[in-house]
Amino acid sequence: MNDTTIDFETEALSYMDQLYAAALRMTRNGADAEDLVQETYAKAFKGQDKFTPGTNLKAWLYRIQTNAFINTYRKKQREPKRSDADTIEDWQLAAAAEHQSRGLSSAEDAALDMIGDIEIKDALMELSDEFRMAVYLSDVEGFAYKEIADIMDTPVGTVMSRLHRGRKLLREQLGDYAAARGITDKRPAAQETTEEVCRGKGRM
Amino acid sequence: MAKGECDEALDRLFEFIDHELPEDQLRRIGDHLKECPPCETEHRINEKIKNLVARAGGDVAPEALRDRILVTIQSARDDA
Repeated sequence: MNDTTIDFETEALSYMDQLYAAALRMTRNGADAEDLVQETYAKAFKGQDKFTPGTNLKAWLYRIQTNAFINTYRKKQREPKRSDADTIEDWQLAAAAEHQSRGLSSAEDAALDMIGDIEIKDALMELSDEFRMAVYLSDVEGFAYKEIADIMDTPVGTVMSRLHRGRKLLREQLGDYAAARGITDKRPAAQETTEEVCRGKGRM
Repeated sequence: MAKGECDEALDRLFEFIDHELPEDQLRRIGDHLKECPPCETEHRINEKIKNLVARAGGDVAPEALRDRILVTIQSARDDA
C-alpha cells in the first residue's frame, strides 16, 4: 500500500460524519443513512483509481453518495411532492414572491430567531429531494454552485433554480411554524410595514 | 433609490449571500443594501435562514457504522 492510498483513505474517512449527516437528511432515517454511507465508501474505495489526486475528494464522495441515493434508496421511498419538483410554473413563483413580500417584516425577522434546530430539520424534510439536497449542499457543506452542479449532475442554472425554489418553500414553512407557535402573526402588522417601505421603492 | 438597484439586489440576493458574484457586483449590491432598508431586511431574513439551515448537519456517525466501513476498506485492500 503506497502513500497515495493511505492519504486517500485517511482523507476519505475524515468525511464520514459529514456524509452520514447528509445521508440522514437524504434518506430521512438512520438505518438507510448508515447503509447509504457504507455503500458510498465501498464504491469510493473500489473506484479510487478514478479519483484524480489533488481534486476535491469531499465533493467526489458526495457525488458518489448522491448517485447511490438516487439510484438505490430513493426508489423504495415514498416521495412527497417529488414529481412537481422541477415543474413549478413561473406564475407560481411570482405568486410566492408576492406572498413573501407581503409577509416581509421585522416580525418575520424576529420570529426566525425563535426557530430551533428540530424545526429546521423538519422543514428541510418537507422539501423534495432535489431542493433539499441543493439547499443542504450549499448551506451546510458550503459547496460552490459549480461543485453542487457536479455532485448533482445538473447544469449550474438548475442548481440556482433549485436553491431559489427550495429556500422560498423553506421560508414559508418556517413562517408557518413560527405562526403555529404564536410567535408571529403574518397578517396585519407585516402588511402595513411592507407596503409602506415598498411603495417608496416602486417594487410592488 | 433607483428601482433598478432594488431589482438587481433582490434578483441576485441568493448569489450575493452564497458569494457567487463577481467582486464588482458584490460591492455594488452590498452598497445598495446599506442604503435600502427593505432590501436589507430581505437580505437579513434570507441570510438568517441560510445560517439556520447550516446547523442542520453535525450528526456523528455511529461507531457500528465506522466499524463496518473499516471492514469494507480492508476487503477492498485485500482485493487490490
